[in-house]
Amino acid sequence: MSSQASGGVELIGVTKRFVTPTGAAMTAIRDVNLTVEPGQFVAIVGPTGCGKSTTLTLAAGLEMPSAGSVTVSGKPVTGITRGASFVFQTDALMPWKAVEANVALGPMFRGVPKGEALRLARDWLKIVGLAGFEKHFPHQLSGGMRKRVSLAAALINEPTMLLMDEPFSALDVQTRAIMSNELLTLWEKSRPSVMFVTHDLEEAIALADKVVVITAGPGTVKAQYDIDLPRPRGAVQEIRFAPRFLELYQLIWQSLREEVERAYSRQIQSNLKQGAA
Amino acid sequence: MTAEINVAGMESLADAAADEQRIASAAKSRLQRRRWAVRVTQLLILVGGLGLWQIGAVVGFIDPFFFGSPLGIVQRLADWFVNGTAYGSFWEQLWITLEESLLGFVFGVGSGVIFGILLGEVPFLADVFGPYIKIVNALPRIVLGSIFVIWLGLGLPSKVLLAAVLVFFVVFFNAFQGVRSVDRNLVANARILGASRLQVVQHVVIPSAMTWIIASLHVALGFSIIGAIVGEFLGAQGGLGLVIATAQNTFDSNGVFGAMLVIGMLALGAEALMSILENRLLAWRPKASGDTNVAGL
Repeated sequence: MSSQASGGVELIGVTKRFVTPTGAAMTAIRDVNLTVEPGQFVAIVGPTGCGKSTTLTLAAGLEMPSAGSVTVSGKPVTGITRGASFVFQTDALMPWKAVEANVALGPMFRGVPKGEALRLARDWLKIVGLAGFEKHFPHQLSGGMRKRVSLAAALINEPTMLLMDEPFSALDVQTRAIMSNELLTLWEKSRPSVMFVTHDLEEAIALADKVVVITAGPGTVKAQYDIDLPRPRGAVQEIRFAPRFLELYQLIWQSLREEVERAYSRQIQSNLKQGAA
Repeated sequence: MTAEINVAGMESLADAAADEQRIASAAKSRLQRRRWAVRVTQLLILVGGLGLWQIGAVVGFIDPFFFGSPLGIVQRLADWFVNGTAYGSFWEQLWITLEESLLGFVFGVGSGVIFGILLGEVPFLADVFGPYIKIVNALPRIVLGSIFVIWLGLGLPSKVLLAAVLVFFVVFFNAFQGVRSVDRNLVANARILGASRLQVVQHVVIPSAMTWIIASLHVALGFSIIGAIVGEFLGAQGGLGLVIATAQNTFDSNGVFGAMLVIGMLALGAEALMSILENRLLAWRPKASGDTNVAGL
């Protein structure tokens, strides 16, 4: 298999600069080379503010690279990437729409008639374990349930590529573990390629086939590690005790720690500077 | 051993339930008493205030020529409703003002929403028109009424236009702000899910600006009534504004107060309808904690 097939992502020499409202240029990521094979689950870890999320917006086609090329399913990205779905850290649900209408948005935007889209949405709500909550509004659900709705809304379009930006970081520890298991089960069914941004190394290793470490900003790929834990992984709470998991954790943490420390000391310095000014 | 503990546990559970019920019923009756106390005090203040006014007017402590009297106001209103005013029945005057405000409200809200969303969505237009809108907004818009009367005459259109202009700015700024504060994640998500620009506006931008727009409608409704009445003041052939202007010119303070009372009732009624509409449109909102009325506990 290669990154040419559907769902594969290839970033070659990608740099992204932003212009701040004051007119200053800011480099978010620099010379990133990254390949996601079709059906591969890739976790991206790195310190805060290293441009992890920028990588996702480039793959989604929400932003264009300043230099380099982004290719999805063998085609260069020129606009919103087809076949991609995004799960955000804060749930991107419309608070004024009932749960089923939220999930039905994807098919409706693609021209599926409303009744058909709603039927499909109810099927998906059953799959994520929310049968009976179709008519509820998002604010009536717990954080974990809203995350399930977001997952259903993302998967209903049958994406070949799933982009997840710290999707579970707002959840409490127990709910997060449950949602991780749920995600793996759903992913095994249709096997889209996944780019999963997180700052939690345990979560990254437990879920992914490959963990990519990004340097402190401007971010670039520091190292990549293949995670050779067998699949299906089973409960993420238990795999953390596997000897191989601990080996991998130590190996990757060595690499990640330097970046986290560098980012942290830089942040302290810039805070000091602001305080002095 | 365990069985005993279970029995004891069940008994204490039952006790706890009875306790809870007692506390709940006590709290309920306390709440009811308090509500009654509030109502009675409100009524006393009203009766006391009106009574003092009436007694003052009879004794001569308050000059009824300038300040009127409660009974005089009631008589004046009764006379208007039974015998009509100098320019037709009182109901007709009421209807004229109502019609002007409603039309002004509809046109003002419509144009405010359209321009607000358009300028909010297209930054270029917002930058170009921004200063002009600020200039027009800085004018005391009531004075526009004079020019509208010159343009459109003493009839209905000049009042509708004045009311619409007052309403427009309130709604426009809120719609604009509403569009500008749309959650960027929601827009990005809709685009990734395959929404076109128009679909984004229809499904994301307009519904989320709706909260802002609806919040402005209460103020807008008041402004539409003000616009209609001020317009009538400046020159009209009918309406409550003309009734007040006539009463003023004949030093009929009871008439001025009476018309004021009617306008107040009108505004309150409209406000109540607006609240019903608001609850309908914003049914998806979580209930604010203030709505549950537990503050009295």
